[in-house]
Amino acid sequence: MKPRVVPFGEGALLVELADEFQENVVGWARAIADNWETVLAFGPAVPAYTTALLRFDPLRLAPAEAERAAAELLARGEFITRAGNGPPRVIQVPTTYDGPDLADTAEGSQLSVDQLVALHAGREYTAYFLGFLPGFAYCGRLDPRIVAPRLARPRERVPAGSVAVADGQTAVYPLTSPGGWRLIGRTDLAMFDAGAAEPVRIRAGDRLRFVPR
Amino acid sequence: MIRISESGVRSTVQDRGRFGHLRSGVPPSGAADPHALAAANALVGNSADAAGIEIIGTPFRFTCDDSRLVAVTGRDVSLATRTRLDGWGSVFVRAGQMVTVHSGERTRFAYLALSGGIATPAVLGSRATYLPAGLGAPLRAGDTLPLGEADAGPEDAGRLIAPTTYDGRARAMAGPHDDRFEAGALERFFAATYVIDAASDRQGTRLGGAPIASPASELQSCGVVAGAVQVPRGGAPIVLLADHQTTGGYPVIATVIAVDLGKVAQRMPGESLRFYRVERDEALDALRAERRALDGVRISA
Repeated sequence: MKPRVVPFGEGALLVELADEFQENVVGWARAIADNWETVLAFGPAVPAYTTALLRFDPLRLAPAEAERAAAELLARGEFITRAGNGPPRVIQVPTTYDGPDLADTAEGSQLSVDQLVALHAGREYTAYFLGFLPGFAYCGRLDPRIVAPRLARPRERVPAGSVAVADGQTAVYPLTSPGGWRLIGRTDLAMFDAGAAEPVRIRAGDRLRFVPR
Repeated sequence: MIRISESGVRSTVQDRGRFGHLRSGVPPSGAADPHALAAANALVGNSADAAGIEIIGTPFRFTCDDSRLVAVTGRDVSLATRTRLDGWGSVFVRAGQMVTVHSGERTRFAYLALSGGIATPAVLGSRATYLPAGLGAPLRAGDTLPLGEADAGPEDAGRLIAPTTYDGRARAMAGPHDDRFEAGALERFFAATYVIDAASDRQGTRLGGAPIASPASELQSCGVVAGAVQVPRGGAPIVLLADHQTTGGYPVIATVIAVDLGKVAQRMPGESLRFYRVERDEALDALRAERRALDGVRISA
């Protein structure tokens, strides 16, 4: 697809950069969101894998103006200056690998449990974006030998702190919630604290390493 | 201070929403019927970002420690002191005077605003309650909440604002993903009559009716807004409301305009809902008209 800007209701625009996940597009989407939010200060933005949602107050900024500004950000290409966030950090996630889906996921991947744990803990992941729940960071990519389709029937209750995998991605559930990812372990590291100056542990762009214990 | 003696079925403090942490996955929350809360705030002279109480299931009963202007809005709502008054008007209430918020069989959400606003501490930039993450808690009988400063007097009461017509008609703009659906899907969506599903809540209004075929290609999750009409695999649309997740992986065929969100949120299970297509200019005109109506009734402090 050709990158484009489309209206999302009267008070938002959706910048669509690609149809499928590409490592370089994630950073591009985030840079567009950062510029919108912090440099132009037009309103909140929500980056994801291939898109950036750009919000604005249409009574203060005419939608046509917002569209021109978004198109201008898009036209700068993927080497647009990064703003906001600061340098990525490396976050260690102490993990007990005893999740209810660990054995099944290993079997489905034709790996032993030890091999699966070694693969999951053996690489550093990028936090691509946050969504779904407060502090839920979509991280990746998994070693392709880990085969983890989403559960056909999502669980109604996934405990907070569950370490999960799905479709090439890994994440920690920050809150107890419904969920369809495969649970392979758990951590005590809090991912969301509304009382903290920075409420989420992981920022998009951070690096993540799961440390078995 | 407001002292709550009956709290309804589920009542929460809400404002116009928490928009500063969307990219951290924190849902906006805020009033499910944003116009109703905005109207209640305007009626008692509060600013647009003041917090009020969203009430599900009445009666909700309270007193205040000092005199306040009070307004109740929503679908089929009224307020009783010594007399019973229709909603969508402001009333002067004296210290210690018992006030009861009533609603009807078709009321999903009632909104209560008091001059000065609910002054609980803001969390992450907002007073809005978001229960799944423990931001705020349901109000209970016996709770007391602080109120902001206000000096409105009896002469400021009696203001009225035209109630929303909750008629099962909501205006929506096409997209953003309408071109990913098969030809004719958008036209069928705007021609269909949907029925509200019982599983609807503050996260979204779920619709039953003729299913819409979802696009063949998978969609990457993207940021979404309240009003987005998502079409999951089964083809039964969901209109996202205040507690929606910040990102969604289902294609969005249309987006309900901001001023009509309450017309979706207030529909009861089993009731019908239809969507009428508008362009962005009409959505903006509606937003400007809403702003004029609210500014017109607001008391100049």
